Amino acid sequence: MAKNAAPMGEDAFETMLRKETASVEQKLAAERAQAHAESQQRNADLLSQNSTLPVTLSSIQIHGAKYTRRSFLNPLLEPILQSSAQNANYTLSDMLQEVTEVVSKLQKFDIFKDQIHLHLSQPPHLDPSTTPTDFEVSLRVREKSRLFLKTGTDVGNTEGSGYGTLLWRNIFGGAELLSLNASIGTRTRSAYSADFSTPLFSNPDLRLSFDGIMSSTQKPWASHEEAVKGGGVKLGWLNQSGDKYHVGYSGLWRQVTGLHDRASPTIRGDAGDSVKSALSTSFLRDRRDNPMLPQSGYLFRTASELAGWGSLGGDVAFSKSEMEVAGAVPIPIPGVKGFSGVSFGAGLRAGLLYPLPHSYGLHGAKPSRVNDRFTLGGPTDVRGFTLGGLGPRDGVDSLGGDVFAAGSMNLLLPLPRVGAESPFRLQFFANGGRCVAMKNKTKTHSPVGEGLKAGTVWDGMITASKDLATGLPSLSAGVGLIYAHPAARFELNFSLPLVLRRGEEARKGLTVGVGINFL
Amino acid sequence: MSVDSKQSAAAPKATAKASDWFTIPAPLRRLFKHFPLLVYPANELPFRTLPNRELPTLYVFSTDQDALQGLPSFNPSCLKWQTFLKLAGAEFRIIPSTNHASPNGALPFLIRPSSASDADSQTPVPSNKLEKYARGNGSTQVPEVSSLRLEAYQSLLDHRIRNAWLYSLYLNPKDTALLFDLYINPTSSTQVVRNTIWHQLQHAAESEILKSTGAPAVNPPALYKGAEEAFEALATVLGGEAWFFGNLNPGLFDATVFAYTHLVLDEKLSWQDSRLRDALMNYPSLVEHRDRILARYWGLQG
Repeated sequence: MAKNAAPMGEDAFETMLRKETASVEQKLAAERAQAHAESQQRNADLLSQNSTLPVTLSSIQIHGAKYTRRSFLNPLLEPILQSSAQNANYTLSDMLQEVTEVVSKLQKFDIFKDQIHLHLSQPPHLDPSTTPTDFEVSLRVREKSRLFLKTGTDVGNTEGSGYGTLLWRNIFGGAELLSLNASIGTRTRSAYSADFSTPLFSNPDLRLSFDGIMSSTQKPWASHEEAVKGGGVKLGWLNQSGDKYHVGYSGLWRQVTGLHDRASPTIRGDAGDSVKSALSTSFLRDRRDNPMLPQSGYLFRTASELAGWGSLGGDVAFSKSEMEVAGAVPIPIPGVKGFSGVSFGAGLRAGLLYPLPHSYGLHGAKPSRVNDRFTLGGPTDVRGFTLGGLGPRDGVDSLGGDVFAAGSMNLLLPLPRVGAESPFRLQFFANGGRCVAMKNKTKTHSPVGEGLKAGTVWDGMITASKDLATGLPSLSAGVGLIYAHPAARFELNFSLPLVLRRGEEARKGLTVGVGINFL
Repeated sequence: MSVDSKQSAAAPKATAKASDWFTIPAPLRRLFKHFPLLVYPANELPFRTLPNRELPTLYVFSTDQDALQGLPSFNPSCLKWQTFLKLAGAEFRIIPSTNHASPNGALPFLIRPSSASDADSQTPVPSNKLEKYARGNGSTQVPEVSSLRLEAYQSLLDHRIRNAWLYSLYLNPKDTALLFDLYINPTSSTQVVRNTIWHQLQHAAESEILKSTGAPAVNPPALYKGAEEAFEALATVLGGEAWFFGNLNPGLFDATVFAYTHLVLDEKLSWQDSRLRDALMNYPSLVEHRDRILARYWGLQG
């Protein structure tokens, strides 16, 4: 076995080499594909025949990583050499598996082009320092261009914008990334942000990032514009099963400004400056088959924030938690083989903002401001309502709530003739929610007076939370068409409100929704 | 997002109005009329909302405590209109606010009592319309002065006295602590934000002074001298009368003068540099004028 491995191996790698030469000579793509397939086939054959071949790894090299630091790559490669040296039963398949893992890690750093070539060779037997089981591994990478400028247009949740981005990859040779963004849009009047991130310990799943932001966003549902300046630091990581975590700190100077003529007294009262200094953490498990058109799997997301407490400082103090669960199940249709394209989905979101005593509690807690409260309603959460259409309302302004809960159910059907594989679906939906603010029970308390006692806050939050379940939630139902583009999901819905609170803004008839994260 | 967003923002019952855009077929309109099936009472407003909307409200620079008692604002322009509304006999309350709350970026402005029938009731009355508002809503007839006569003296206040005031409060390093107490510390507890706002205020004050004087740089002695000359001119105009221009009751000009003289003399504001105050003290008739207004409209001793 071992005997015939060498000539065959050389043959196989020659094929790969030839393949590279072919690409230089610009042979036809079809030929290349065939050659590639052949070499793959040979590799597979070779591997299956020699998987238990005892090997030792004498060296591993990376070619083409011109700007990448050795000190960054070493921690990736050393474990392979060590396990080869320590493990007496080290086989070819062990080695290939470990090398493949390294390759996939290298790809995750987003500094190399997709194709990373792997070359195996045996050192010349004439060299007295080698043993017959020695193998040399070399990886051939091509670095992506380090500077990258992109301009374009974007659709996000109910927003369109134009942007310019400058990416600077691999700044110090350790997959560090600096991205500078400037954008103007329909709702975000202007936004500038800078973000520097770097992997830690050469681990692509562990990143530390620093960011700065300066933006100005229109909030037409509450007759004002919010200008934000600030920055933060964030540590994000992915675990083995792909769950995302982050912990971070951010300090933001917010200004509620540019009030409209008809802005309500509540918004006028919240106008001006406030600093939010907050620790945050989030968790995301996304096991859906397709985030734009989930038809099986589930999503679980939580996010919490602690602002202004203890020595955090700033002008607002609260704890804010949000969670979302969503899931979908495909529905088999008798007589239809395989995936029918029919599915049922449901989602639930809820959040709570709890005012805390500022710093160490000497002055009591301050009630929430409009820029910290939750808004609910709109094409991407509770359909059939306007943006921020649910919850307390003062004149023309949607003020947001301290507690909210919203749920939705939908049935997706493939369009006739277009089929289950197409990104189009017909949907029937019903969704609803409640958005409740902590109210001033005494009615005598000055809106800008001293802080609230812990008992007052507790009672207020209990009342508000109970209010979520008073009566039916505000509800709407309808039918619509979905187009799930890979970049965003488009919905055209016809809906009617079933239940609402006086003042809440529902939509009767057709609405369009564009977004990336639908309830 | 959708075409009818403006419609429904203006009026929740948008179905009838939507026909302006495109005609809704009659059967659809009949269907729409049945929805929503159930309407509960409105949601309650958040904690920080403003209670007692039936009172006209003047948004001024003030502190929470001062505003509750209706004490004079510490901003000359706010105090001018606060005083004028008082002497016109208009009923109102004041609440502390910031420039961000104003549609034109400056305080004061007034919000009329909220009225369900009038959609414009919550539209602010800016300071340049407050005179008309006060005359229309006050119980007392305020004397009017011919605008020609007024203009000459008004410019003394708008330029010389205002420039000296701007320098004293915003640029004079001796009174930085006072500036922080009045305008900066209430905005945020964060030092970076305070310093940024401080520099913005200083810059704005400086450019206002330069615009007014037309000089290339701020010259403090000249500003104080200008203010003293203005005080002298005002004292001459006032003469031995109780109110300016020999009126039987105080008018807008009295309010304007009071807005500066009161703040220069107010013991509650801890001025470290007494130059402006000393200049004013040379004209006892102006000091008495200020005391007279303070006693008559606030019941306070100067």
